[in-house]
Amino acid sequence: MKDIKKIEIIQRPPPPEPARRTNPLARVFDELVRFCQSRSMFMLHYCTGCGAIELPPAMTSRFDMERLGIQPMVTPRQADILLVTGYVSVKTLKRIILTYEQMPSPKYVIGICSCTVNGGMYWQSYATAKVLKDYIPVDVYIAGCMPRPEAVISGLRALMEDIRTGRGDAWKKYYQNYDFYLGNQQRLFGEKWQTPTDVIAEAHHYGMMTDQTLGEHTDLLEQNEVPLDALRTRLKARTE
Amino acid sequence: MDKNLNVWLDNLLQEIEGIKFRRKSTRRVRIDVAMDALPTLLELLQGRASYVHLSAITCVDWPDDGEFELVYHVWSYETQSLVSAHTRIPRDPGVYLSIYDLYEPAAFFERDIHEMFGVFFEGSPDMEKFILTEWDGPPPMRKEFDSEAFVNQQFEWQPYHPDWLKELEEEGGGVTTRPEDIRW
Amino acid sequence: MRPENYQAVNHPPSNEYELNFGPNHPGIEGNYAFKVKLNGDRVLEARADGGYLHRGFEKLMEGRLWIQNIALVPRICVPDPVPMEVCYALAIEELCGLEVPERAQWIRVMQLEMSRVAAHLFAFGGHAATTGMYTPMFWGIADRDLILDRFEELTGGRVYHIYNIPGGVRRDLPEGYLGRLSGLLDYLESRLPDYDNLFFTNQVFVRRARDVGTMTQAQALKWGVTGPNLRATGLALDVRRDDPYLVYGRLEFDVPTEAGGDALARNLVRRSELQQSIHILRQVIDRLPEIDGPIRCPIPNPLAWNVPAGEAYTRVESSKGELAYYVVSTGGGKPYRVHVRGPSSMHAVQVLERLAVGSRLEDIAQIMFSLDACPPEVDR
Repeated sequence: MKDIKKIEIIQRPPPPEPARRTNPLARVFDELVRFCQSRSMFMLHYCTGCGAIELPPAMTSRFDMERLGIQPMVTPRQADILLVTGYVSVKTLKRIILTYEQMPSPKYVIGICSCTVNGGMYWQSYATAKVLKDYIPVDVYIAGCMPRPEAVISGLRALMEDIRTGRGDAWKKYYQNYDFYLGNQQRLFGEKWQTPTDVIAEAHHYGMMTDQTLGEHTDLLEQNEVPLDALRTRLKARTE
Repeated sequence: MDKNLNVWLDNLLQEIEGIKFRRKSTRRVRIDVAMDALPTLLELLQGRASYVHLSAITCVDWPDDGEFELVYHVWSYETQSLVSAHTRIPRDPGVYLSIYDLYEPAAFFERDIHEMFGVFFEGSPDMEKFILTEWDGPPPMRKEFDSEAFVNQQFEWQPYHPDWLKELEEEGGGVTTRPEDIRW
Repeated sequence: MRPENYQAVNHPPSNEYELNFGPNHPGIEGNYAFKVKLNGDRVLEARADGGYLHRGFEKLMEGRLWIQNIALVPRICVPDPVPMEVCYALAIEELCGLEVPERAQWIRVMQLEMSRVAAHLFAFGGHAATTGMYTPMFWGIADRDLILDRFEELTGGRVYHIYNIPGGVRRDLPEGYLGRLSGLLDYLESRLPDYDNLFFTNQVFVRRARDVGTMTQAQALKWGVTGPNLRATGLALDVRRDDPYLVYGRLEFDVPTEAGGDALARNLVRRSELQQSIHILRQVIDRLPEIDGPIRCPIPNPLAWNVPAGEAYTRVESSKGELAYYVVSTGGGKPYRVHVRGPSSMHAVQVLERLAVGSRLEDIAQIMFSLDACPPEVDR
């Protein structure tokens, strides 16, 4: 204990000041919208890892996530929250990124279990990606192996609080620093990595282009772009 | 009934030349057999001794001997005993015969061994990748593949000494870690 | 992909089309995928696509100490982790020639059966949800949670217990534990008629599940099906009875079977097994107080434990079927090779691929849940 000298408590940054608007009620409306957003969230039903086993208890009658306004949703197109429940193998990570890009903004990512923070007990494993926030921006981490339903719900409440006060804006980082995230993805999946979503156009649309959005990695993305091809899933087992 | 069958099996297997037979317990038998005789042995076990259930096929890598050891675990519901047939195949080229025509579950195990160890099974219905479809490195279960070195080279670690902590430390705060506790 | 680069894709004219089913799909158990070829909604071909949960357990275990791996093994099958621990511990005990004290054996049997009940409640709840019946899912999961509470009291962990170590178990039972467990069993037993009314004899479910994913006895034997799925074809085969481990040889229980071989029969077998597991647990509760003694035998310093050279193949009946570990030691501090034979490696790949052909698209989820396929066991 004597090694610990002094720990400063890190203050979270204050919520951003809303832009000046002429309507005197604008602020009230913003508050109302954020309040409503935080009370009605759809969670994508995608079990990416073993932490998903604690979601059914959290969703059903005993812990009852629905009283907080959180419900599972089957399609990413209508979901607000992406729960990354546990270790992300490289194969799953590709699907997570595709899913994340398909979700409409604003979208929130929760990393459940220690494995999403630093690889957890699979730190040696050749098959799992270690730090989730290098590939997609993460709003809330819930540590534990695995976190109890109470912990999951408390993490979701933290997210709700962030959304209500306007701090839950990790999704903006994806547009603002797209080059960084894309670079990490390319490092793992190879230079030919493409996703069907046009993130740069979306960044334009949301007005979130910064000088970090474009860079060498997005150049590589456009260089290697190929037109869509017919789905080449070979079903028949090949006999050699 | 069970006893008799076991005795019968023991006698039979001891008669066959070229195999090493050892009964480890009443329900576990170990057989060592040359690689060209294994399919015949399994055919005999399945057809004549009711070993109808292929429990697993395991591959063990012995790089010092330059060999892969393939272990076929077959279970008999009738005599209620398990035969583990061990055979060794050369590591190079690592090709062996499939036993899919005897035991259909073999298809999964052979496919698994193919992607994890790189052993090719001739006659197996499906040798395509199943688990490691996004993987283009060497077969990872081979002993020479060092998972930890690969991880260090491929992935970034979560920084445990970020910039904001360094700033705190410059001001005299922060958490100090003893040098012997620093892992990375 | 920029919009200006989108082009119409030319598919050959055909009634058949291919569909990716999963991994992001509510009808898939866990993280698993299928590629199916359809004509209308009839499945012409199906091909499993796994590996989404691959962590390379077998490689990881070669790099860790024997005792460290105890924390790793339960992660291989998330809904039913206890058989994993017990099977791995049995393998090490066989290699070392350790004699597990009787009390520890009874405690292990107790945990195995509790885990089986929890896994079966989870499985039938999941199956109900895929057929659109959410109430049984809520009931099953809520009742499973009560078992997890007992696990938590015993081991400190809700899902992963890390309680069975080579040589015995980590802790003795808390004060009054068996009484509370007995109360829980009374409650679960009183719930069984409710489950029957709500789900197992409910015509909505019965008509939906009958003749879905039917396999014959011969097919099941040929495809390497084990566990409740094999018993649903009328064969009373159970590792607990055929290859007894721990004290199962001294326990009284039936091996329930059904004749149908379809999704309905598989669920009915699980329902009967719930009853049998409760019956076994009651025997354990009766016998355990009489058995005194240590809960583990002395083992060497676990951090410098060199397990003698040799190999062991241990089999355990998990809630999904035959679970086996093949462990090779060369006398070192770490395993030389550990091979996990998960029952789902048969059910989720070959069996499911074959049963899906000819069925309808909406039944694939039902077949998968009725087989109780557990993808992490396949991917490892």
